[in-house]
Amino acid sequence: MVKVKTMVNIKEDFKNLDLTVGDVFSKDARLKARNVNVFYGINKAIDNVTIDIGNKEVISFIGPSGCGKSTFLRCFNRMNDTIDSCRIEGKITLEDENIYDDKIDVVPLRARIGMVFQKPNPFPKSIYDNVAYGPRIHGLSENKEHLDNIVEESLKRAGLWEEVNDRLLSPGTGLSGGQQQRLCIARAIAVSPEVILMDEPCSALDPIATAKIEELIHELGNEYSIVIVTHSMQQAARVSKRTAYFHLGKLIEVGKTKEIFTRPRHNQTEAYISGKIG
Amino acid sequence: MNKKRITPLEATNTVKKSIVKRRSKDNRLKLYGRIAIGLAVCFLLFLFYSIFTKGYPGFFQYYVTLDINFDRDRIDPKGDLSDNSLFDGEASKIVNESLFSIIEPKGRKAKKQAKKIVSSGKDVRIAKMVKNDPSLFGTITKVKFALDDDIDSFLRGYIKRETPESERRISDKVIGFVDKLNQDGRITYEFSDYILKGSASGNPEMAGIKGAFIGSMLTLSVCLLISFPLGVATAVYLEEIAKKNRITEFIEVNINNLAAVPSVVFGIMGLAIFISIFGMPRSIPLVGGMVLALMTLPTIIISSRAAIRAVPPSVRDAAYGIGASKLQVIFHHVIPLAMPGMLTGTIIGMAQALGETAPLLMIGMVAFIVDIPNSVMDPGTVLPVQIFMWADFAERMFIQKTSAAIIVLLGFLISMNALAVYLRKKLERRW
Repeated sequence: MVKVKTMVNIKEDFKNLDLTVGDVFSKDARLKARNVNVFYGINKAIDNVTIDIGNKEVISFIGPSGCGKSTFLRCFNRMNDTIDSCRIEGKITLEDENIYDDKIDVVPLRARIGMVFQKPNPFPKSIYDNVAYGPRIHGLSENKEHLDNIVEESLKRAGLWEEVNDRLLSPGTGLSGGQQQRLCIARAIAVSPEVILMDEPCSALDPIATAKIEELIHELGNEYSIVIVTHSMQQAARVSKRTAYFHLGKLIEVGKTKEIFTRPRHNQTEAYISGKIG
Repeated sequence: MNKKRITPLEATNTVKKSIVKRRSKDNRLKLYGRIAIGLAVCFLLFLFYSIFTKGYPGFFQYYVTLDINFDRDRIDPKGDLSDNSLFDGEASKIVNESLFSIIEPKGRKAKKQAKKIVSSGKDVRIAKMVKNDPSLFGTITKVKFALDDDIDSFLRGYIKRETPESERRISDKVIGFVDKLNQDGRITYEFSDYILKGSASGNPEMAGIKGAFIGSMLTLSVCLLISFPLGVATAVYLEEIAKKNRITEFIEVNINNLAAVPSVVFGIMGLAIFISIFGMPRSIPLVGGMVLALMTLPTIIISSRAAIRAVPPSVRDAAYGIGASKLQVIFHHVIPLAMPGMLTGTIIGMAQALGETAPLLMIGMVAFIVDIPNSVMDPGTVLPVQIFMWADFAERMFIQKTSAAIIVLLGFLISMNALAVYLRKKLERRW
């Protein structure tokens, strides 16, 4: 069932794409994952996944619980490094640089690849300090005024400025769930990343807050590459241009969102989107 | 096997029957809890009542007012107010003369007994007064002197007039002298200026806790300065940096065991290491503080680790996700969030250290030291050891002084805890 359609700019050798169907590769790839395996102790959580993340592309990872989509997402900014038992094989490149190379420092990497988590997790600090934290630790701002500008700009782009500009010094944890999540997005974009990883960013939010975040993802997609893990197929359909379906640690199918949801090529994908599994 | 099926009606009836039993069990448990709390409160109240009623009089003592002729030639023969000159002076004699002029003892024996009515610290008192204020010379001034502890005990009623003279610590003659002074209105009961300002003394009426109090402060400062940074650093290292393997597990088990080691063992270790091997002097607050630091370290490490573990992982994730380095995550997020818990552990450790006697006995802080320590290198003692020593003395007056010292120790402890609560409240993020 090998159906690799496009093969552009691929110099790396890859193998065993026997399972994945669809457009794994992208013409204008920013992140490339090649034959990635992830182990927790002796359990294989991700099995031989190869995929490209395009430039300024919103791609969603869908799949049933425990299929490894979040684990795979966390490979892109090496968040799995914080888990002792976790081991990663394979190659992930950002602009043709292997991020798992020994020479790579995770600190600048994570500044380039931001992350938004499932549960809104603002720091127990003021709204201003939450957004200013990244620029501060990376030394991005030249002076106080510049930092103020970065904070204001980030909050504006996260669509939160209007709601909080009169209480920047009040605690970030005092905001509503949806506002907190947008604050986390503002915090992530304050360091001007190239890619934003979102791990089920709306699963803890109500429909109205979710709609706001989705709108925001849509807008941010014009500037950043966004990888979003989601449980909601509707959300994937609404926000992303490409969709990847994971099942039991394997990447089953990748393709244009429209096609995945209307004409899935793999029978497992079809079973999932039609509600038979998952 | 009994495969009888229970019908819903049967189930309802059975539940109804058992509910009375269950409810009475609940109520009984509640009652036991209340009894336990009530007992604890009673004991606590009784403890406080007995300490305060016994200790309160310890802050007061009897004084006699005498007219002293500040004759410079006799008090300060060299005329330079030096310790030497004042020592050579006849201050005691002047006090005795003033006393004799009131009670008029007849004969050598009576005079000898009369001299003992006023505390032996009388010359020191006069020396201090003239040093502070040389303009006293040439005047006749009323001065209050502490009464000897036996007289004090007699006036408090601990030594009874009805007891036969042979079984009493003071003779009928002395009682007569005291009555005379009383008739003259010269004996007063006042707040003691020895208990808080004095140091260790063989004379109960002059004994005070200043030396022990300062010794305690110095010892605790050393203890805090060593154990807090060391404990927090250890906890941070074990929780955040060290890989979980056999060695860290071994260390963890040992730390937990150390917390349960009897404190006197730390004293023996301090004696063996700090004094025998490093040759540090005995009885100094520095060594005491180091020994207590060893003792409190496990407590601080364990509670700090618990506090660090309680920091939500989401905060850590957020910080790592934005590209904070390990050090930044620790110092910007983990430690500030864990600080209230760490402080709680530290205060518990300090409170333990404040009340500790046994390890300090081993390193010689039980010595009788009259001088008040000026630095951590001066020999000194601490409050609980002072209490321990006083409790061992035979004189009646030391009982009150012991209770008074306990009150001061409790006050010290409570104010330390209050400070901790305040700090914790201040550091605690309310959001």
